[in-house]
Amino acid sequence: MRSVEIFKIGKAYPNPYGEPFRAVVDFSLNIDQGEFVGLIGHSGCGKSTVLTMLAGLNEISEGGIVVSGREIDGAGPDRAVVFQSPCLMPWSTAYGNVMLGVKNVYPHASRAERSQIVESALSSVGLADSMEKYPREMSGGMQQRVGIARAIALKPKLLLLDEPFGRLDSLTRMELQDVMLDILNREKITTLLVSHDVDEVVFLCDRVVMMTNGPEATIGEVLAIDFERPRDRTEILQDPLYFRCLDHLVSFLTERAHLRTEPRIHDSSNLLTFEGTKPEVAAH
Amino acid sequence: MEIKYRLLKVIDTAGLSFLSPVVRLAAGEEPRKQLKDIGRWIIVPVFAMVLFGVLWSIIAPRHKTKSGEVPTPAVVLEAWDGISRFHDNESAKEEGFQLTGDSRLAELKQAVARLSEVESLEVAANQRLKEVRESTDTEKLKIIAPFKSAYDAKSNEYRDYRKSSAARLKELGGTLLEKGESERLAYLADMRAVEVKTEELKAERDALKVELEAAEEQTFPDLKEALKASTLLGEEKQFLIKYIDLVGESSREFKLAAAQETLKSSRQEFLTSTEGDLYKLCGNVIKNEKFTETIGTSQYAKPWTLPKQIVRSLFCVFTGFLLASIIAIPIGILCGLSNTFMAAMTPFIALFKPVSPLVWLPIVMIIVGGFMPDPDNHWLIVALAKVPILKEYKIDPMFLSSAITVALCSLWATLVNTALGVGSIDKDHLNVARVLRLGFFARLFKIIIPTALPLIFAGLRISLGVGWMVLVAAEILSTSEGIGKFVNDMYTNGSAESFAQIFVVVFIVGFIGMVLDRIMVFLQRLVSFDTSPAL
Repeated sequence: MRSVEIFKIGKAYPNPYGEPFRAVVDFSLNIDQGEFVGLIGHSGCGKSTVLTMLAGLNEISEGGIVVSGREIDGAGPDRAVVFQSPCLMPWSTAYGNVMLGVKNVYPHASRAERSQIVESALSSVGLADSMEKYPREMSGGMQQRVGIARAIALKPKLLLLDEPFGRLDSLTRMELQDVMLDILNREKITTLLVSHDVDEVVFLCDRVVMMTNGPEATIGEVLAIDFERPRDRTEILQDPLYFRCLDHLVSFLTERAHLRTEPRIHDSSNLLTFEGTKPEVAAH
Repeated sequence: MEIKYRLLKVIDTAGLSFLSPVVRLAAGEEPRKQLKDIGRWIIVPVFAMVLFGVLWSIIAPRHKTKSGEVPTPAVVLEAWDGISRFHDNESAKEEGFQLTGDSRLAELKQAVARLSEVESLEVAANQRLKEVRESTDTEKLKIIAPFKSAYDAKSNEYRDYRKSSAARLKELGGTLLEKGESERLAYLADMRAVEVKTEELKAERDALKVELEAAEEQTFPDLKEALKASTLLGEEKQFLIKYIDLVGESSREFKLAAAQETLKSSRQEFLTSTEGDLYKLCGNVIKNEKFTETIGTSQYAKPWTLPKQIVRSLFCVFTGFLLASIIAIPIGILCGLSNTFMAAMTPFIALFKPVSPLVWLPIVMIIVGGFMPDPDNHWLIVALAKVPILKEYKIDPMFLSSAITVALCSLWATLVNTALGVGSIDKDHLNVARVLRLGFFARLFKIIIPTALPLIFAGLRISLGVGWMVLVAAEILSTSEGIGKFVNDMYTNGSAESFAQIFVVVFIVGFIGMVLDRIMVFLQRLVSFDTSPAL
């Protein structure tokens, strides 16, 4: 079942001395219900632009996005975002930060119900003991856990992760990746992860969308990652497929990212795979 | 160790960080570094203050004014004593007036005893003053004698020379008529020389006069001391006489008893009288009843003392500050939220911010006066006069005018800072608000105001400082009771002592301003969040 349809969206910024600057063009992607899609590309290629357009924080210049059968218009709690920096309210505790959104999204829930939602969200990110801590009393990793809890507590139809582990050290990053996997195994939320870390996307995602370089960036290739779920880090790291996937992503980024591609709607039917049954369609 | 960190935290939040090296030193932490810090943050400032005091003591007496010399630190300290003595005496009178029964009689007895003691002491002090004066007079004569004789001699020389040369030249001039040009030219040169010589003698005489005056002004510590002792005792005697009167025959209890007695006899007379004008007698009873009631609730008419004026000034500045905050914070928030509103407000901010309190005050006084043609019966004044503590401080239109002037001058800092705080809110936080679809009020109260709070408080801190500065000026101009009125009174008074009392006010105003600022810094810290934790 399709959860998200992105049809030919593009972002153009006005340029006072000529044609508008087109950062992203003809970006078309369909995402299935419960699918975890990664979006990688060189920095500045427009990954975050796509994500913020999905979130409704950035105006869509061309095309349209449909989430759960409805075209989006502006931001909303059906599409929760975890930002690169935790963006917590420094004057609220972890509990208060999560409650801020919960209160708004479940206006008719009783106090106890809300409280339970907040507590279960915080427990699922491993912060059951730190609910009353203020952001300044928490490490960066803990703060980002609160950020994740705030997003999943809204029970979003689409979870948008904007380089959520980019500012963490590698050990903390691994911890949080595991937390993320745990949550998604349980909750099956449709997720889009923007990242420039190839290990991360291979480990976490079902499908990786590779973007060409900007300006006029668009989808270059799409790679299916056919690991079984639930995934185990040590098993995956020993699997030769893992390295073939990594290889492919790196070679795209170093060799093919600057090439132009034909506009095409990408979904689970036209994939580039190594082990699956589907043919290689998107190769250049 | 626990105690050490707790103390350090208290010191830090109170903004008294100069004390922390002392605490650390007491705990034995890096003594070398702490001593260096103590040297820099305690000893150097103290040394600077001492140096300032010394320079002040040296320079001040060199400048003469219509109110005597510029007071030295010692004189200012004495003026401080005078102010507090006046306050203590007036408070004692106020209390004494209300005493009743045995405590009144005991107080009366004590005061009478003290009076006789003071009287004998005063006699002794006056005796001593007389002796010291005699001895210093002769000593003074001795000291100034050489200066005086030198001056007199020079003065005579000058006068004689002028007279004799004038006579000589006049006589010579008489013989010049039949002389030729060369003689006449010689005469001209002669007269010029005389003129120069006269000027010289005059200058010498004036120099000697300055020396003589300096010698005459030589002060004698003994005499000063004796004079002071005598004056102090005289003052105390005056106070005691008045006090005994207030505790004794002018006390409320005493007067009330007398009034009740009169009332009783007039009643008796009215009820039992068989002849005379009963209409008049009955009127007397009513009159006496009223009088008794008035006496029963009467108070000692205590004059305004500086402490009371300070409290009133504080009330006034806080009223103005509150008013400024109520106006400035909402408008500032609107300015920060909407660029259009900011554009609308910019000309007003730019135009009115630099206007002096001395311009606002007359305008405000006239406007407030227009609202209150009969201030004593105006609802606002009547309402304020019922507020428990406030009612003792005579809230009048002048008070309100001063407070409004304070508000008009101080609201700009808060307004601009609030607008800045709201305008410079983190974009990420706003994105969070958008994702969470927070409504306008949730966004305002949960995100915008908390973020802007540190800057709002920075603005409030500046506002309070400005308000305190403006207030004294406003009070001087409006002659509204308060510190400004005190300064104005002392200036009008123009004696050496009141001149010194203005100096006292400088330090009081400075100190209170400093305390207010510290309080605001403390509040500002309470609402500031450490937004950059270790990642």
